[in-house]
Amino acid sequence: MDEQTTLLEQIMAYDFALYDLQLFLDTHPSDANALRDYKIALDQAENLRRQYQSKFGPLTPRYLPNTTCWQWINDPWPWDPKGGMSNVAL
Amino acid sequence: MWLYEKKTQYPINIKKPDPRMAMNILTQYGGPNGELAASLRYLSQRFSMPTKETKAILNDIGTEELAHLEMIGTMVHQLMDKVPPKELERLHVDTLYAVHGRAVYPSDSNGVPFTAAYIESMEDPIANLNENLAAEQKARATYEYLIRMADDPDVIDPLRFLREREVVHYQRFGEALRIVQEVMGSKKFY
Ligand SMILES: [Fe+2]
Repeated sequence: MDEQTTLLEQIMAYDFALYDLQLFLDTHPSDANALRDYKIALDQAENLRRQYQSKFGPLTPRYLPNTTCWQWINDPWPWDPKGGMSNVAL
Repeated sequence: MWLYEKKTQYPINIKKPDPRMAMNILTQYGGPNGELAASLRYLSQRFSMPTKETKAILNDIGTEELAHLEMIGTMVHQLMDKVPPKELERLHVDTLYAVHGRAVYPSDSNGVPFTAAYIESMEDPIANLNENLAAEQKARATYEYLIRMADDPDVIDPLRFLREREVVHYQRFGEALRIVQEVMGSKKFY
């Protein structure tokens, strides 16, 4: 797997963990273990996201790597076919 | 995928309940020219858009329409909030109350439930974009009807904002159509 695919899959895994913890915390807002896990995953996800975006471009429109070109629209979009992977250049 | 932000796109703070106006505005929640239809239309059509610009604009307008759906739901909720059932009956909003209480349900102002039959998503991007141009004009016209009926500035302000967004969306879809026509080298299609 290339670096972009590896990084993106790691971000997807941490983001999913964060989402699942978010749902749990919605109904258990003072669960210390869940809060600690959320903090660990959040730091990891933010770090990976920073690495990914600086190398491969925006994951959201609120990332502007340069002011010469609007990279947000660049292909591939997550639904573009490429053997099952999302948002990774061929 | 999406990540929710805990704010509306434009401020909404309606101090005076108005169940009649809530019922009228409800059509922009789940009616034929409403925000739910708009969002589902664009977010479904984006899968068949042929260029990066048009994939982006369908994705991003479809996303903004979800924010508009939330604005309309917020308005309906604030306009209906805590109004006594007897008052709803006096104002002839009691048939909606009988079915849903004071909840926000995706229907038009007559209580007709939302249906995906309001929208189209075809493989042909020219057909889709022409539908979208019409859809934005129909939504703009609906907002104009609603603004004419409203008299509270707390209601009129967000409705005006939403009307202006339809005008902007119409503009962007026009540009998207031109991009697709150029790419397909088929300027003969309109
Ligand atoms: Fe719109």
